[in-house]
Amino acid sequence: MDFSLSQEQEMFRSSVRKFLDGNGSTQIARDFIRGDGSSLEKALAGLAGLGCTAITIPEKYEGAELGSLDLVPVLEELGRAHLPGIYLETLAFSVPLIEKYGTEQQRQKYLPQIATGSRTVTLAWLEPKGGYHPNEVQTSASIEGTSLVINGTKSSVPEGETADTYLLLVRTSDGTDGEGLSLVLVDRDEIKVKTRKQKSFDETRMLAEVTFEKVIVSTDCVLGEINQGWSILQEGLLHINAALCSLMIGGMDRLVEMTAEYAKIRVQFGQPIGRFQAIKHRIADMKTDLETARSLSYYATWALETNAADREAAIFSARAFTTEAYIRIASHSIQIHGGIGFTEELDCQLYLKRARYYENYLGSIQHYREKAAVALNW
Amino acid sequence: MDFSFTKKEEKFRSVLREWLEQNLPEGWLEGKTALPEDNREYSQFLRNWQKKLYEGGWAAIAWPKQYGGRDATLMEEIIYQQEMVRVKAPPLINYVGIHMVGPTLIQIGTEEQKHKYIEKMLTGEEVWCQGYSEPNAGSDLTAIKTTAVKDGERWIINGQKVWTSFGHLADKCFLLARTSNHEKRQKGITVFLVDMHQPGVETRPIIQMDGEHDFNEVYFNDAVAYDADIVGEIDEGWKVMITLLMHERTGIGAQLFTLEQQFGDFVELAKELQENGSPLIKDPLVRQKMVDLYTRNRGAQLNYYRNLTTTLKRGYPGAEGSMDKLLVSELTKEMFSYALTLHGHQGVLWKEDAIMDSSWQKNYLYSFGMTIGGGTSEIQRNTIAERILGLPKDMGR
Ligand SMILES: Cc1cc2nc3c(=O)[nH]c(=O)nc-3n(C[C@H](O)[C@H](O)[C@H](O)COP(=O)(O)OP(=O)(O)OC[C@H]3O[C@@H](n4cnc5c(N)ncnc54)[C@H](O)[C@@H]3O)c2cc1C
Ligand SMILES: Cc1cc2nc3c(=O)[nH]c(=O)nc-3n(C[C@H](O)[C@H](O)[C@H](O)COP(=O)(O)OP(=O)(O)OC[C@H]3O[C@@H](n4cnc5c(N)ncnc54)[C@H](O)[C@@H]3O)c2cc1C
Repeated sequence: MDFSLSQEQEMFRSSVRKFLDGNGSTQIARDFIRGDGSSLEKALAGLAGLGCTAITIPEKYEGAELGSLDLVPVLEELGRAHLPGIYLETLAFSVPLIEKYGTEQQRQKYLPQIATGSRTVTLAWLEPKGGYHPNEVQTSASIEGTSLVINGTKSSVPEGETADTYLLLVRTSDGTDGEGLSLVLVDRDEIKVKTRKQKSFDETRMLAEVTFEKVIVSTDCVLGEINQGWSILQEGLLHINAALCSLMIGGMDRLVEMTAEYAKIRVQFGQPIGRFQAIKHRIADMKTDLETARSLSYYATWALETNAADREAAIFSARAFTTEAYIRIASHSIQIHGGIGFTEELDCQLYLKRARYYENYLGSIQHYREKAAVALNW
Repeated sequence: MDFSFTKKEEKFRSVLREWLEQNLPEGWLEGKTALPEDNREYSQFLRNWQKKLYEGGWAAIAWPKQYGGRDATLMEEIIYQQEMVRVKAPPLINYVGIHMVGPTLIQIGTEEQKHKYIEKMLTGEEVWCQGYSEPNAGSDLTAIKTTAVKDGERWIINGQKVWTSFGHLADKCFLLARTSNHEKRQKGITVFLVDMHQPGVETRPIIQMDGEHDFNEVYFNDAVAYDADIVGEIDEGWKVMITLLMHERTGIGAQLFTLEQQFGDFVELAKELQENGSPLIKDPLVRQKMVDLYTRNRGAQLNYYRNLTTTLKRGYPGAEGSMDKLLVSELTKEMFSYALTLHGHQGVLWKEDAIMDSSWQKNYLYSFGMTIGGGTSEIQRNTIAERILGLPKDMGR
């Protein structure tokens, strides 16, 4: 019995933290919000240099061939520093899917570039009117010989204007509930799309509407079998949701830390506010929520890595709990900071906005609870 | 990360399992698990059970071999608790002796004390209770007023204890008494090993809100103890209490494993209870709430294993135990509360009229004691904030 990250994993965490702290931590996100992407670029390059982008990629494709658990400390640190970017979509969605379903040609093309940090992949799923339900996917890709002709508009695509590759969910034939959908790898520099930036509440998240008008790509770009996109996507959701928990926990950890520190030094009525139990007990609950989320998330990732029988229930329930706890912790941290908590200057608001973004990202809390109930055979 | 048990641990489990199958009271595994109502019969039944555990070498596995234990590892203790919960084994009547007083005496008791008490503790011949709380001292034990005054050879004890679990069944009491007054109120408290069967000790029952009688008031009127009955140093009982707390390392685990088992029953309940011909577990709102409870229950179990890992590596338990205690007690309360909600208006029918099993109502009522006994939830929150996060202590401490 050893329910903890390994020494190597913790050591890797330290080096990532040291690097990000050395580069300004949340200041990177603040520069980015102001429109200056240079510090982010530098940070992302540095992280790639540390090997963060290569972790789960097989050695054959220039990766480190480690497991999902090895990604956990890295994601926690990225969440803590509140780094903008689509590393989650790239590393915890596209990589496992390309590895498992990609053709040899696709693997050779994408995995080494992702490993070195020179390629990012985003997920283009939502559409302007739709939700996450498969019936709402209207963007079509019709097969003409060895070509796919894509028509339609994707919405709220993370880094839709800058990502190197879209992992695009399209309708390749008629059907309901996931039938007839396919995933296609579309490289942005090989096609022409119309994009429109969408302003996001979480300003570190660059979203865009991406319109495909008779965009032609080769059928070789289909990931896995044609018309099997929905079930492939389900596998990807396991990976990305487990990883998302780690990312959120990094932010929660920082919030609890900064709130506890503030409660020790802020004096009112002649004493640190951390002595008032209205504050103290709330912080204790925040800490308890954080550790519960962390345990659930470690287990979820362990279950994913070891293909445990309860992996679906573990991942979906962890996802639902962690999202809710993140919002709760961020809200409390603002309140406990008093007037200064309400300012732009303090980082609390950054984390809160991110938490609200993730709340419904790839599905709502209710949706994931229901999925957990189904996984539990209830 | 590794959730597996070693071969040696698995072997330990199967040996214990086999022993339990052969030695649990007759019909127990088939569900004949009702305990006698009558206090005397109840006590005898549980003493017999402990004797049996003792004879099999299963009464106090964490104790050193030389004192009749097995030198069990922490993991073996966990497995032991898991197996006991799995078969819903009868409660250990001498829980206080085996898990608290015994290990403390083995560590810091005198040779005479060990000789006098240890074996009888193990066999169930002498049952122990813990005399800490008083009417004016609960969360704050430094406020105790029970006194012990030296009179020649003897210490004369006067005062009142309250909420004393097992008090009516106990032969001995691990008692906190004030022996002197100091500015630092932790100082001046002394631990005595007191005989409950003496003229100066009177036990009166207290009936709990669940209708049961587990705890008592205990009055000390010129009760007597001797120097030889003092544990540790005079006036330094606080240190003894901390030593004792360090030994109480798997009680929360047992509560968590019990909750896990009860959660399984809870799921079955939601499948059996119906509304308009459809099982409640198919109702979307019920499912949402149940997944939430499931998740937090899993989280509490997993926290426990994570804290256990820390304890194993560090060698002693830390303040994280407060989180385990807070979560298991609050979650148990919440789960049984929701179980009653699911019963609908028939939830108020109980005892022989209960529509399901009356244990739902009973456990619901019992659960209120869990967030109070063993340190209230508020005290656990203080500990989490102060000892784990370093927030300033409350006023007056
Ligand atoms: C939108 C907005 C507009 C404002 N406008 C004005 C204005 O026009 N003029 C003006 O003078 N001020 C103004 N303020 C300031 C406002 O009055 C203070 O922010 C508020 O009184 C809290 O004080 P603080 O920010 O110093 O927080 P603190 O007093 O430091 O409180 C920090 C935290 O500790 C808690 N806390 C403090 N004491 C206790 C206690 N005894 N028990 C339990 N918890 C405690 C607080 O509830 C809070 O959660 C404004 C604030 C805001 C947010
Ligand atoms: C089922 C059960 C079994 C028990 N068995 C035993 C036993 O065998 N031996 C024994 O000695 N005792 C036993 N107790 C007593 C138990 O230890 C006390 O009830 C408990 O410590 C609380 O003390 P109290 O009842 O005096 O409540 P109080 O300490 O008076 O507390 C009243 C309320 O005030 C809150 N409070 C107190 N201090 C603080 C603080 N600093 N900050 C915030 N809130 C605070 C508490 O959380 C509680 O909500 C048992 C209790 C129960 C319920």
